Amino acid sequence: MDRSANSPPLHEPDLALHVEDLTVTYGERPALWDIDLDIPPGVLAGIIGPNGAGKSTLIRAILDLVRRSAGHVRLFGRPYRAQRLRVGYVPQRSSVDWEFPTSALDVVTMGLYGELGWWRRPGRSERDRALRALEQVGLEGLADRQISELSGGQQQRVFIARALVQQADIYFLDEPMAGVDATTERAIIDLLRDLRDAGRTAIVVHHDLQTVRSYFDWLILMNRRVIAQGPVERVYTADNLRRTYGGQVALLDTGHDPAAL
Amino acid sequence: MIPLLSDPTLQTVAIGTALLGVMSGVLGSFAVLRRESLLGDTLSHAALPGVCLGFMLTGARSLTALMAGALVTAMLAAFAMVLLVRYTRLKTDAALGIALGLFFALGVVLLTHIQATGNAAQAGLDAFLFGQAAALSRADLLPMGSVGLVAVGLVVLLWKPLKLLTFDPEYAAAIGLPVRALELLITLLVALTVVVGLQLVGVVLMTAMVIAPAAAARQWCASLHGMVIVAALFGAASGVLGGGLSALTPGLSTGPVIVLVASVLALGSLFFAPRRGLVPAWWRQGHRLSRTSSDRVLETVYQLACEHGSGRYRVEEGAVDAYHGMTTAAILTSLSDRGLLEAVEHMPDEGRHWRLTNAGMSYAATRAGRPDEVLGT
Amino acid sequence: MTDLLISPAVAIVLTGMLVGAAGALLGVFLVLRGNSMLSDAISHAILFGIAIAWLLTGATSGPVQIFGAALSGVLAVFLIESVVRTRRVRQDAAIGLVFPALFSLGVVLLNVFARDVHLDEHTVLLGEIGFVWLDQLTIAGWVLPRSVVTLAVILAMDALFITLFYKALKLATFDPELARTLGFMPTLLFYGLLSLVSGTAVAAFDAVGVVLFICFVIVPPAAAYLMTDRLGVMLFLAVAMATASAPLGYISAMALNVSIAGMMALATGGFLILALTFGPRHGLLARRARRRRLTDQPTEGTSSA
Repeated sequence: MDRSANSPPLHEPDLALHVEDLTVTYGERPALWDIDLDIPPGVLAGIIGPNGAGKSTLIRAILDLVRRSAGHVRLFGRPYRAQRLRVGYVPQRSSVDWEFPTSALDVVTMGLYGELGWWRRPGRSERDRALRALEQVGLEGLADRQISELSGGQQQRVFIARALVQQADIYFLDEPMAGVDATTERAIIDLLRDLRDAGRTAIVVHHDLQTVRSYFDWLILMNRRVIAQGPVERVYTADNLRRTYGGQVALLDTGHDPAAL
Repeated sequence: MIPLLSDPTLQTVAIGTALLGVMSGVLGSFAVLRRESLLGDTLSHAALPGVCLGFMLTGARSLTALMAGALVTAMLAAFAMVLLVRYTRLKTDAALGIALGLFFALGVVLLTHIQATGNAAQAGLDAFLFGQAAALSRADLLPMGSVGLVAVGLVVLLWKPLKLLTFDPEYAAAIGLPVRALELLITLLVALTVVVGLQLVGVVLMTAMVIAPAAAARQWCASLHGMVIVAALFGAASGVLGGGLSALTPGLSTGPVIVLVASVLALGSLFFAPRRGLVPAWWRQGHRLSRTSSDRVLETVYQLACEHGSGRYRVEEGAVDAYHGMTTAAILTSLSDRGLLEAVEHMPDEGRHWRLTNAGMSYAATRAGRPDEVLGT
Repeated sequence: MTDLLISPAVAIVLTGMLVGAAGALLGVFLVLRGNSMLSDAISHAILFGIAIAWLLTGATSGPVQIFGAALSGVLAVFLIESVVRTRRVRQDAAIGLVFPALFSLGVVLLNVFARDVHLDEHTVLLGEIGFVWLDQLTIAGWVLPRSVVTLAVILAMDALFITLFYKALKLATFDPELARTLGFMPTLLFYGLLSLVSGTAVAAFDAVGVVLFICFVIVPPAAAYLMTDRLGVMLFLAVAMATASAPLGYISAMALNVSIAGMMALATGGFLILALTFGPRHGLLARRARRRRLTDQPTEGTSSA
């Protein structure tokens, strides 16, 4: 292995996302265990699982927001740190205080801060790109609106525009359909399909089993560990769903419960 | 030692501080559980203008008048805080800070006004900033005691509704409990506690008296009544020890000493309480270390290798740690010394990895009851 | 002309204005982040640092004291975070445990070791802005009150920090997770901000005392928050109101013969009441007018805001 380069060598560059042996612990029990994921580029992937399955934790571990106990993550062959600008992140809407004094356009412009770095100020070209992103989500008329005056669906769209403005190659969205009206949900899924058709990759934590098969081409079923992953037709089976949603998942089939020691 | 105990001043101090401690522990438990710890901070700072007003209106340093004034302004501050949160976009923390700062500023203004008028009796008012237990008189114990009795009595009387409100406010509202009235009551009782403690601990430090004994007790008891009782005991102990220490040492304000004792108790509980304490948790982890046999750890590596279909599968140390809930570095090293595992590197951004040696593979397979199974490479 | 700067009135008002401006600048980000009470915690905790700084170096003022005491403010925040990390105590309780303990430790140290020094808990708590004009420095032939010099330097540092890191601060306050993913290290930024709050608190305690400093940090930003929906405007308004509170407070205090710092703090409260009543969008009058307009119109089903 070539260790002379400053950055780790490319590892699985043909995969949009490659996760190997990912384990994350909160306190004394693993929240994620031995996660292996391979997602090819250009798919619209859904992450499904019961509450507490670690879906949000998975995304946050991929983005270096929580500490990994074990495993590694590669995006197009490189670690996250080297690919920041190619990754768009849409966190849960509730993770932010929407009473913050700022406008929709300003929030979208924040998506470009990574490109600008610490010192450069956003200028005319950044404003234009932000406006175009707002157009993409159908909110160009609300650019100067204070974000606390937006509806839930509009706020979600602003968040998505903030990721779109980066023109990233891979997008992670955490429950983007939560608490939005039907029109917004349709708009969001259309947007994601456009991204997929343009060759981008979108990975979405989703909560509604009813719409999984119509929305996604790729599916990951998880409950602290990956139960099944792959093309949705192959993975979305009664058996897999039962294993995912059927209660406590054993980490290893040893019959020993280490916590009882 | 005995002559000390029979000293009337010390007796008064001991009774007063014990009383304060009990009230703080009991009411503090509710404040802490409801995540309103800093309400005590705001209420106590807001008591200052009331103390001054009480003095100005009665012209004398009568504890009852001062306490009454303190209670009024403290409740006004709580009221202002609730209004701010309910009717503006300001959040709780900002409302707390605003009420705390502005009411205290008013208190400072009134205090200097009183000082400017040159009233001789006002010299004692300064003591309300940090407490002066030695200035406590026998007569003062009566109003303090009555208030304390009423407060604790109300808590006992309304135990069930208060408990429900603390642990499940939505359910309490759903079954028709007067939630707003109960919350107002808790605030009132915390304000009373603050008011009782003014003379002893002072406005600046009553926060700690409301929080520390309760936070300490929480480490020992999970049940509400256990927590309340332990908190009352901790509070009383802090009060008596701290008050006594400061009364014996000339030049020491009471408040800081009591707070230090309470803080030490809280810190000690955080570290040493039997189930939740940090030290017992570390000890348990170490104990688990000696009980986790190396066979178990080897089995984990073996199972992971089986799941990944290769005997040469590399397991990261962090994963083994996560599975067993402890640091397994020592065990893994000893297994390596026995020739059953070998250390390898994998990704540069990962920790150390381990994999089975041939000897390790057959050992683990035998133990798993599959001696003839050969894992692929 | 040079004498004007050391005339009592000007020195006092100038000191108050500098404290207000510095406090409000930093306070905007504390209030937006929901950490207003950390200013309470830091302000009290620095007494510990002041006591230690005095014990170790004998300094009762100047850069050594400011630096040493500022460290204890950061220490307080670090201890609070550590306690919260044990997951056995919630954040509000952790705050209320750490700062009174540090404050009490400081008071006890001063009681025992510094009886005669002009450094007692009363001064720390209430300040003595009335005397700031007495302590003077001579710089390049100009005679200036020491407090004005110190605070001017601190204000410059605060303003520099906010200007340099404006973008990062805005993002880190609004969405710390995104800030982290984009590489902006929000935790580091906030420790930087809190260090400045600490340093400013120390510089201000001599003048206005710690609790009144809290008023300057929280109240003007809160008032500005009620008046605008733009961060830049909020910063401007907060600083303006804080600065204006100083002369207003001074004049009232002279008229009523009461604490100057106290009246300055109450003046910030006056601005808050004005904002509450007259704020263009969030004030009470504006709200009532909006509601009346809505009830005057015939209802047409549900409208989404």
